[in-house]
Amino acid sequence: MSWAQAILLARGLSWGWGGICGAALTRAPFSQAPLWAPRGLHRSATACNSDSWLVPPSPEPPKGPPKAPAPHEELFTQALGGTRDKANFVRAVQNFGQHNVYKRGHVDFIYLALRKMREYGVERDLAVYNLLLDVFPKEVFRPRSIFQSMFIHYPRQQECGIAVLEQMESHGVMPNKETEFLLLQIFGRKSYPMLKFIRMKLWFSRFKNINPFPVPRDLPQDPVDLAKLGLRHMEPNLNATVTIYQMPSSKDSTGAADPTEPHIVGIQTPDQQAALAHHNPARPIFVEGPFSLWLRDKCVYYHILRADLLPPEEREVEEIPEEWNLYYPMQLDLDYGRSGWDDYEFDIQEVEEGPVFAICMAGAHDQATLAKWIQGLQETNPALAQIPVVFRLAGSTGELLGSSSGLEDPPPPPPEGQEEEEDNQQRQQQGQS
Amino acid sequence: MALVLKFLNGTYIFRKCPKPNVASCPFLGTHFVDYCSSSLQKPVAAPGKTSSQRNSEGDLQGHHQREVALDITSPEEKPLISFDKAIKDEIKDQLRRLKDDIVNHWIGPEGRPLHEVLLEQAKVVWQFRGKEDLDKWMVTSDKTIGGRSEVFLKMGRNNQSALLYGTLSSEAPKDGESGRSGYCAMISRIPRGPFERKRAYDWSQFNTLYLRVRGDGRPWMVNIREDTDIMQRKNQMYSYFMFTRGGPYWQEVKIPFSKFFYSNQGRIRDAQYQLLLDKISSIGFTLADKVDGPFFLEIDFIGVFTDPAHTEEFAYENSPELNPRLFK
Repeated sequence: MSWAQAILLARGLSWGWGGICGAALTRAPFSQAPLWAPRGLHRSATACNSDSWLVPPSPEPPKGPPKAPAPHEELFTQALGGTRDKANFVRAVQNFGQHNVYKRGHVDFIYLALRKMREYGVERDLAVYNLLLDVFPKEVFRPRSIFQSMFIHYPRQQECGIAVLEQMESHGVMPNKETEFLLLQIFGRKSYPMLKFIRMKLWFSRFKNINPFPVPRDLPQDPVDLAKLGLRHMEPNLNATVTIYQMPSSKDSTGAADPTEPHIVGIQTPDQQAALAHHNPARPIFVEGPFSLWLRDKCVYYHILRADLLPPEEREVEEIPEEWNLYYPMQLDLDYGRSGWDDYEFDIQEVEEGPVFAICMAGAHDQATLAKWIQGLQETNPALAQIPVVFRLAGSTGELLGSSSGLEDPPPPPPEGQEEEEDNQQRQQQGQS
Repeated sequence: MALVLKFLNGTYIFRKCPKPNVASCPFLGTHFVDYCSSSLQKPVAAPGKTSSQRNSEGDLQGHHQREVALDITSPEEKPLISFDKAIKDEIKDQLRRLKDDIVNHWIGPEGRPLHEVLLEQAKVVWQFRGKEDLDKWMVTSDKTIGGRSEVFLKMGRNNQSALLYGTLSSEAPKDGESGRSGYCAMISRIPRGPFERKRAYDWSQFNTLYLRVRGDGRPWMVNIREDTDIMQRKNQMYSYFMFTRGGPYWQEVKIPFSKFFYSNQGRIRDAQYQLLLDKISSIGFTLADKVDGPFFLEIDFIGVFTDPAHTEEFAYENSPELNPRLFK
């Protein structure tokens, strides 16, 4: 064997073993491994040009600045067309296997791909996760003896598998049979990723439907549809009617001085309509808001129309009509026989608040928009014309503003409220005429 | 005996934080050590609910003694109260509690006659009608591990409810080991008897938790913890989810105790067992739904009652795949 060939073989052997050990053991120094591996390749390529088991130099561009980007990052930056979508992500993942048959650096690549998923918008796609798990070489990491299964066999790879499953879990993606088969092929039945998969299967199926107020996963993009969904979500009464008082105007209308009209969507139940009709016109009603409502990850704001609680002396006493037939009574009082044993009421006075008459969601939170809502409400509630409406619009801290008695935090100052009240009375009269 | 118990409590925490010089007097020494454990900001276990609970414990024991230990730990700060007066007030307070305890024992459990306790079907445990009711709770957020969420608790409108509000931020703290962050929690303080002995709630005759809340549509998690002095139970708790509807109407949330699952250090345990209701230490609400933004939760009261229609004992069964040893 010649001198050059001996040195070449020695260098290749030391590089080879060092590369594999470096890949399996630690993550941090691993970034150095591909740095000197291609250098070794290039060096050996220049020294000798005949060897068979050396892989030809990879077409990867050389590493740039010393503050190195993550290894294999260029696979993602080379996205053709530049758009970040599923096809490009899949292509980048598939490109990884093409450069090196032995899939060197697959752990780092998978971590990088997990980080990049959010940018490409594929974090909730099960097929992409399965494709990512496919990057692992199969049958290599399965333990073959009792001793191998006693200790964590190939710990970095198992951690990486667990990281993929953990990202699936945090985005609520349910794994399927393909995932199970892949994990079985890669890690074997007794491994930690397989255990995590069993736990996910069990607990996800247990907790899938525990939300009594489910919100659909894909929220509508149209603000009017979103407002309708939100209003229906808040109102427990199914008799309520949703009314769109104003649609948003199109964007390409000329008129720079006139800002786009925001949408106004309101909801009201027949009970609330009746209560508003019975409301005493001497007492004002308030428009309060904006309050926040979260639908999954979108926050929408709503306003409510409510009145203050009537003091006890002004509350109407319900009249009990006289029974006209004792065999078919109109009221049944089955409370007899209740002793301490049967008392399921809580010994506390619940918080009482004034009645809510309507809820609305609008694009803008200013008084003009809400005044339009009130005008729209007047069509179905003619009694609203006589009642003074006070606007109590605060910043959205989320708390309902204090009522007229016993305040802790001062609401927007009362003189302003009174001015608005007078304004509104004028507006009511103008709207009427 | 109470002092010995306190000392034992103190030494347990002492093992966690090695301070070179313990104060000479054992009573003050335990105070000092308690205060030092509450200043431990970096948890050893994984970040998440564990750190909130751990720091809550440290805060729990540290906060109560803070007035007395003020002079020792921060001499540059001008003490607002005199040391002797504080000691005297504390002793008087504890002796009064001891007297109440002994007298109440003659009347019945917790000072109520026995027939009333036995026949009770619905009980209000926490109500929010005044500032002193807020003192029974404390709030934590991931600021303790370096995150950016903020949470505050105050009385709601008309002093009739409590408002828990703040901002959630899931930006992970840059300490090299936390991958995710973003939680806020409101935890009740452990009920104390005379000489700060830990008491527990006994809800064994009830089977459902009842909350009257008004939220903003976010999903919360209700955690119940049992006595955490035992090493094995340090990070274990029972949890379940509370989904708020949002909107201006008050919402009644009824969670049967059979639905609570068992978790350890923030992860669901494989071997599940039902929640035993006779030694409940504290209850807490956590928000960690990975969505950044402001939140609020208004609570009217929290009670427990017996739902006669609910006959389930435990909702989760153990599976032979995860727990082969249980099925031998």
